[in-house]
Amino acid sequence: MANHSQLGFQDASSPIMEELVEFHDHALMVALAICSLVLYLLTLMLMEKLSSNTVDAQEVELIWTILPAIVLVLLALPSLQILYMMDEIDEPDLTLKAIGHQWYWTYEYTDFKDLSFDSYMTPTTDLPLGHFRLLEVDHRIVIPMESPIRVIITADDVLHSWAVPALGVKTDAIPGRLNQTSFITTRPGVFYGQCSEICGANHSYMPIVVESTPLKHFEAWSSLLSS
Amino acid sequence: MISVRQQSFKLLGFLDVKNVPCARESVLYGSLGSLVVGLGHFLATSRVRRSCDFAVGGFICTMLGYWFYCRYNLAQQRIRQRMLKEGMRNKMLFEGSSFDPEKKQTGNERSNS
Repeated sequence: MANHSQLGFQDASSPIMEELVEFHDHALMVALAICSLVLYLLTLMLMEKLSSNTVDAQEVELIWTILPAIVLVLLALPSLQILYMMDEIDEPDLTLKAIGHQWYWTYEYTDFKDLSFDSYMTPTTDLPLGHFRLLEVDHRIVIPMESPIRVIITADDVLHSWAVPALGVKTDAIPGRLNQTSFITTRPGVFYGQCSEICGANHSYMPIVVESTPLKHFEAWSSLLSS
Repeated sequence: MISVRQQSFKLLGFLDVKNVPCARESVLYGSLGSLVVGLGHFLATSRVRRSCDFAVGGFICTMLGYWFYCRYNLAQQRIRQRMLKEGMRNKMLFEGSSFDPEKKQTGNERSNS
């Protein structure tokens, strides 16, 4: 989860999020180069006397056409690479359904056992010491680590959005439509997210918690829940 | 991949040169390149204005040039790390079993000799 006053990304916990963070760094470096150039040109213009002698500017017009084209290519190529990477669907080991309601999530594991539960936010008054306010839930999603997971997302009433920043996942939950996303967690841990589409009075109070564990722990958990 | 985060130092308010890999070196090499190109041009032509233009151009080109070089090497290193991690895990998983590639190699050597 994010620390207080954190502006940057959370630590990446999936390969896609790692790629997104790297692309973000790349985009900022290009932005730094452009800002340096603009700052320099601005300084020059401010020091220059105004004149109306310019009649022809072929060279500078060529430069300020070609340079932005180069910048666009520098940004577009890695961006498109990640875009297509995000759409790849490896054969998933597990399919999970997430259904958004006002104002909680329902999760269904129907691959091998009929397992379904609701996930409500833990109210602040019931929060144990050391737990995170407005982020904890009564039932977390537990998934095996280092396994491709497919999540099918929909909603029961109004628009919601299933988002977990550390995994680089955000997908809209639309009533009457099934949206699919997939991810792999690279390490065990607990990853927090929040509903990301305005959905009513308690939109801020329907968090998502994904717990990534080694496979044997996941099997033990699913056996416990389905018994 | 988690690395130990240092206190951030943001250039122009947005680029964290301490925590972004290759950023610090890119900016430093860019500054050096800017100095070399600008000073060199001035010593050759004694034109201050044009030398400043060349200095800024040198800064941007050197900075971006080193950035791409460093990020390319970093990406290759990450790929090698992933392959190594995968190889180590497969070795542990398959050691002694019929899928063990070392066992197949030893078997081939015995049949050849």
